[in-house]
Amino acid sequence: MVSDPYLGKYTTCISARSTDREILKKAQDGGIATTLMVYALEEGIIDGVIVAGEGDLPWKPRPFVAMSRKDILKAQKAKYNISPQISWIKEATRSFGLDKVGVTGVCCQIQAVRKAQLYPINMRDVPGKIAFVVGLFCMENFLYDSIQAIVEDHTNQSLSSVKKMRIGKGKFQVYTERGNVATAPLQATHKYGQPGCYVCLDYVSNLGDISTGSVGSPDGWSTVFVRTRVGNDIWSKAVDAGLFETKPIEEVKPGLELVMKLAKIKLDGNRKTLEERRNFGVNKALRDPYA
Amino acid sequence: MTKVVEISPTTRHEGHSKLTLKVNDQGIVERGDWLSITPVRGIEKLAIGKTMEQVPKIASRVCGICPIPHTLASIEAMEASIGCEIPTDVKLLRVILHAANRLHSHALHNILILPDFYIPGTETKINPFSKEQPLRSVAVRIFRIREIAQTIIAVAGGEAIHPSNPRVGGMYRNVSPRAKQKMADLAKEGLVLAHEQMEFMLEVIRNMQNRGFTDVAGKEIPIPRNLGYHNQGVMATAPMYGSSSLDEKPMWDFARWKDTRPWDWYMGEVTIDLEDPSYPIGGTTKVGTKANPRMEACNTVPTYDGQPVEVGPRARLATFKNFTEKGTFAQHIARQLEYPNCFYTILKCLDNLDTSGKVLADHIPQGDGSMGWAANEAPRGTDVHIARVKDGRVLWYEMLVPTTWNLPTCSRALTGAPWQIAEMVVRAYDPCVACATHMIVTDEENRIVAKKLLQW
Ligand SMILES: Cc1cc2nc3c(=O)[nH]c(=O)nc-3n(C[C@H](O)[C@H](O)[C@H](O)COP(=O)(O)OP(=O)(O)OC[C@H]3O[C@@H](n4cnc5c(N)ncnc54)[C@H](O)[C@@H]3O)c2cc1C
Ligand code: SF4
Repeated sequence: MVSDPYLGKYTTCISARSTDREILKKAQDGGIATTLMVYALEEGIIDGVIVAGEGDLPWKPRPFVAMSRKDILKAQKAKYNISPQISWIKEATRSFGLDKVGVTGVCCQIQAVRKAQLYPINMRDVPGKIAFVVGLFCMENFLYDSIQAIVEDHTNQSLSSVKKMRIGKGKFQVYTERGNVATAPLQATHKYGQPGCYVCLDYVSNLGDISTGSVGSPDGWSTVFVRTRVGNDIWSKAVDAGLFETKPIEEVKPGLELVMKLAKIKLDGNRKTLEERRNFGVNKALRDPYA
Repeated sequence: MTKVVEISPTTRHEGHSKLTLKVNDQGIVERGDWLSITPVRGIEKLAIGKTMEQVPKIASRVCGICPIPHTLASIEAMEASIGCEIPTDVKLLRVILHAANRLHSHALHNILILPDFYIPGTETKINPFSKEQPLRSVAVRIFRIREIAQTIIAVAGGEAIHPSNPRVGGMYRNVSPRAKQKMADLAKEGLVLAHEQMEFMLEVIRNMQNRGFTDVAGKEIPIPRNLGYHNQGVMATAPMYGSSSLDEKPMWDFARWKDTRPWDWYMGEVTIDLEDPSYPIGGTTKVGTKANPRMEACNTVPTYDGQPVEVGPRARLATFKNFTEKGTFAQHIARQLEYPNCFYTILKCLDNLDTSGKVLADHIPQGDGSMGWAANEAPRGTDVHIARVKDGRVLWYEMLVPTTWNLPTCSRALTGAPWQIAEMVVRAYDPCVACATHMIVTDEENRIVAKKLLQW
């Protein structure tokens, strides 16, 4: 068990991608999140999972409870705006009748799951019914209006023709259905960041059973942290079943070093923001949820 | 010579109440008053002006054992007032909720009454928390029945305590096919347990009926044959669910109901002059204490045809199934007899439930101030809510809950009981005193009688 102040606790870190061609075709990166949840569903480890599906506007996510492979696949790809995943966590155990709930989401959403498990405040039945949690890396998120401004104004693309968005190499990248690639410098997107993200002290979903993201691995591959006993069990079975190609993270470029560097940037920067909140007013502070 | 003894508080029922009893030289109750001393919360008054969506959610909080009846009766009173017809699958989900709530409530009541009873054929009273057999298996069975019932409520109703799914005009959500299957599996498991539990309880109750005496604090107390008899009659609106003013043939008559003050039915000031420090556990009220049930009662007294009535399982069976026994043990027996039908009802509703059916009325009128009522046959009896809704807001609201009907009736049924087992008479009503104490009591000048309590 590694215990890292920036990358959290984990047993192993690998670079991986799904061997499922159908999933890979539409995956954001290595298709880890989707493949794991489909596997867990088919193995009866979960009987449903909260995913970020398509909403009623292009690229606006809508969380829902997926109970079939088909529905889990509908949530492929990262949508860079807020998807309130946890809003379904209790309902999943109610009208959906689930006993083993899976959850996907970014770091803060995984924190919410763990908090509900340990301090269930009007969250009856939830603690015992969370079966598998896959967390995504997350530097920051945006409101829908912001993503609209970034894509339509800064990259000058129409949202409805966008096939994929990515953040990487200092750029916000937009790929269109018809083959165009447009970018905006990340610098220009900063003012659009959701203010709540600037107090977030978690980059690689430290509290997931398994966490995954793009940073550290080559295009089409994902960086994966296997963290808990639940995560370990599912990961090793899925690898044995041939669901993933894997490489030790030490053998890929840019590898853990870059993950660590970005984690430091996020956490150290946001710690500063928190510090500033303590002296925000004259003899008055803004609230600190970590206090 | 008549003496006055008082048990305060009473125990092993929901809420806060006391028994002020006038007894003869033999300690037999000549006249007893059982009254709520639970602080008044005034739900009906604070409902006025609030939206018809909000009031049922508040009414639910009257009680955490029977939140389902309050939620459903309240919502259906709103629907009756505005004239809103709900889709079939809504009705099915609501009946499932309702039946499951009755199950968990009756099972919980088993835990509360069992310590009054004996393991059949022995001199050992039942401690439901004992680790010894056969009691351990009985407790485990009760817990499982309650767990099954609460799970079914949570799935169909959104939440076991204070259901979130019901709304004016229907439900927020239908259930998934998986959820439907889950409820059916649970109900099938529960049905077997409910039959076993019913048989067990019936044996325990019959054994008690044949004993002739019981032990209270080391004394042998005789059990009269007619323990808990009264002549108040019964009231019920359905064997299972209820009725509302939208029905073609409503089963409750607004015109026969009249709300009255405790003043008209309870004793005036008395002074306690009999005390028994050995009454378990902690003794009775101190000699010299003054009591005034008329002023202290935090309940009103609803009457039907000018008289208090009995409501509850026995009332339902007497009204709809020709059940003829009466008194304390008959009430216990009737309650156990309701077990299996709850599960049969759930299974039947699930059979008919279309999980892709719509669960909200297409049109939800906002109301013109007409009066509408809905009666829900709560675990403890008829729970009537009456409302006037105009432009989506509640103009007037009234709740006639089971234990409120039963308080004065049960008081009369205390006559003839040795005071040491007055609480057994009370418990046969499965009292829910918080339910009975949701209103502000006013006298004819509209003065708040319970104000004294509110100032505490
Ligand atoms: C807001 C955001 C910021 C991110 N920032 C980084 C970063 O800084 N560095 C990095 O390496 N990776 C980041 N990622 C993660 C990365 O982009 C991929 O989502 C991740 O690698 C999963 O890829 P995959 O191929 O395994 O997922 P897929 O198999 O394509 O599945 C996508 C999964 O993402 C979930 N999802 C999609 N959008 C959202 C959303 N808005 N909120 C919650 N869950 C969502 C879906 O439920 C689904 O489970 C971010 C993701 C998001 C949503
Ligand atoms: S930066 Fe933190 S708070 Fe913001 S979306 Fe990502 S995980 Fe959540």
